[in-house]
Amino acid sequence: MIEIKNVTKKYGNKIAIEDVSFTVNDGDIFAFIGHNGAGKTTLIKSMVGIHDFDSGDILIDGMSIKDNPIECKKIMAFVPDNPETYEHMKAIDYINFICDMYDIDNETRKENIKKYAELFDMEDKLGDTIDSYSHGMKQKIVLISALAHNPKILIMDEPFVGLDPKAVFDIKEILNEMVKEGKIVFYSTHILDVAEKLCSRVAIIKNGRLIKSGSMKEIKGDKSLENVFMELEG
Amino acid sequence: MRKLYSLIRASMTSDMNIFKIRQKKDNKKNSFMFPVILSIFFMFAIWSYANMFFEKFAPMHLQVIVISLVVFLTSIMVIIEGAYKAGPLLFNCKDDQLLLSLPIKKRTILFVRMFKFYLFELLFNGLFFIPLIVAYLRWVEVIDWSFFLTSFLMLFMLPIIPIAIACVIGAIISSISSRFKYKNFIQIVLAMLVILFSFYLSYNMDFILNYIAKNATSINDFIIKLYYPAGVYIKLITKFNLFDLIMFILINCIIFILTIFILSIFYFKTNSRLKNINTSSNIRIDNLEIKSRPKISSLVRKELNTFFKIPVFIINSGFALVMYIVAVIGLCFKYNDTVTLVKDYLPDMVIDNHLSIIIFILISFASFMTSITNSVISLEGKKIIILKSIPLSVKDILMSKIYAALTITTIPILFGDIILFIRFRLSVLEMVLLVILSILTPLISHFIGLIINLKYPKLDYENSSEVVKQSTSSFLSVIIGMLLLIVSIYFISNLVNMFSSILLLLIFLIVYSLTDIILYMYLIKVSIKDFNRLSI
Repeated sequence: MIEIKNVTKKYGNKIAIEDVSFTVNDGDIFAFIGHNGAGKTTLIKSMVGIHDFDSGDILIDGMSIKDNPIECKKIMAFVPDNPETYEHMKAIDYINFICDMYDIDNETRKENIKKYAELFDMEDKLGDTIDSYSHGMKQKIVLISALAHNPKILIMDEPFVGLDPKAVFDIKEILNEMVKEGKIVFYSTHILDVAEKLCSRVAIIKNGRLIKSGSMKEIKGDKSLENVFMELEG
Repeated sequence: MRKLYSLIRASMTSDMNIFKIRQKKDNKKNSFMFPVILSIFFMFAIWSYANMFFEKFAPMHLQVIVISLVVFLTSIMVIIEGAYKAGPLLFNCKDDQLLLSLPIKKRTILFVRMFKFYLFELLFNGLFFIPLIVAYLRWVEVIDWSFFLTSFLMLFMLPIIPIAIACVIGAIISSISSRFKYKNFIQIVLAMLVILFSFYLSYNMDFILNYIAKNATSINDFIIKLYYPAGVYIKLITKFNLFDLIMFILINCIIFILTIFILSIFYFKTNSRLKNINTSSNIRIDNLEIKSRPKISSLVRKELNTFFKIPVFIINSGFALVMYIVAVIGLCFKYNDTVTLVKDYLPDMVIDNHLSIIIFILISFASFMTSITNSVISLEGKKIIILKSIPLSVKDILMSKIYAALTITTIPILFGDIILFIRFRLSVLEMVLLVILSILTPLISHFIGLIINLKYPKLDYENSSEVVKQSTSSFLSVIIGMLLLIVSIYFISNLVNMFSSILLLLIFLIVYSLTDIILYMYLIKVSIKDFNRLSI
């Protein structure tokens, strides 16, 4: 479970997120939506321990990310909005590096890397250096390395940007599989129709403040998520 | 013109902000003051040295020799180090895609990049030139307005010719290496060859100097023939002539513009070729190595991988280590020449009795002049989020960077030690002490580099040269390294006749151990907070 408790983060005098609270339960696919600059990435980076925050707390499976960052990070995987990798490395070396950081044994990593590389059509490209990849291929490498260590919680920032339709379809399948196993998928997105079909819960953020949060049904009622979002934004 | 102004402004704010301060407001003043104070300290040292030289030359009324020497040497320094950093500064930058897609001439892009290079070198030259001029004022009887006008203009003009030469050499290296499969490797080899050739040339200048001396009619004529900008400067401050001044300014401007025109001819092709990356190894996943490693070992491998993939990083960091090996070979094969050289600088030292101390000086040189860690945080760039999101303590992350740097420095230093131990007879205790010092001494440099880089990171860089050569962090580390080397040699020369070699090495071992412990404590207590504050 992820518990966001009254989190506030400022950049100098500017408030990026203010008093945000919500909960993500095990087995949820949680969509986090908001306009550009609403504070989505800031909150996500705080959740995965990249940013500090000024007040409040974020609990990952009951552990505070502030007090127990390493234990929290062990059960999480983060996919950033821009596929940041060590570009001079071969893809396989990068994935191995990430797996090493999560203490993944040889058998598990072999099995998972093979599984996800085949799924994303990357099985004969992992021997190349990442700087030779396209944006979408880099994104696939980040996804493979995130999934290779079987995270209990997968946090993604705009995961579908730059991916081909097949990869988007495959990711959706993987996410569904994960939640069936009781894992958590939390992601920010602007693609509202995908979120509407895929996610069980949703939170909408505007100017750093949470304006709506709940199950998808509660939030949208009979309308489409896009309509609800536009109304709230308007 | 408006385009050019906007372009310069944009690139200045994004990547030439070498004193960019990231810390909280209350820390801003302190963070800014440190480089300023260090620069003043450095300029004071240059001023003191200049006075020493002026004192020697003043009785013969040859103060101008000192000025021409400093101008000549700083220009040579700019050319040598510019030769390997100019390529990465001009080509294959992160903002290429943006700039090349805009309706701007390639010449304009080149101008902006050369201009940024110029500004940094202006700052660098100023550190030598300003104290030199201030010191000169003390040693001449008559000074008029023309001296100040000429010196002021020279401050801005002197970096131009060395930069133009460096850019041409850098562009040639980039152009040649871009045609090969292993571009980085070729770039490293060519840059190293240029540097080594420059050193070879400067050590074998007798013939050239003799030739010039024979054909020169006066000292001024000699200096002009040796290095035109230095000669003109001397001519102008001894006998001001407006025509010469205007000619000099014109020549510099023409050279700068001409360089841009020449480089722009093959800029686009070279840039495109450098971006070509060999792809499609088509190795099946079953044939790839999938193997687990301990976390720290994996992090160290990643650091080493970064180091060996960035030519400017290798050349910049590896230069002192290469010089160390050259010095070791020189000491082995040209022992008598070395003895004479050391006696010039440290007359009180009895070489045969203090051989281990000579080796220790060499180790100190290699260690303090090799600063790897001053760029390792900045080079993470936006990828810093990877390190910040992995389940590993910040202490382990930082120490892995230290271990990697130590691996890079210790292997060549220990290799040199072994050669010297085989060639010369040292006691076992001396050898043990030297081996330990070969680890403790570079460790100081690595701790300092990392602490400074965490204090002055530059994560939003456009190319690696900017981080490795033109960042506040690299600037401060180099100055601190030089100061540490000077202080070490000062203490060695003063203590060498008071203690036996073994005792002196033991004293340094204790002092360096304590320094390493203090720096380690600072890193894990204070610098960790700097790491946590990093954001992009």
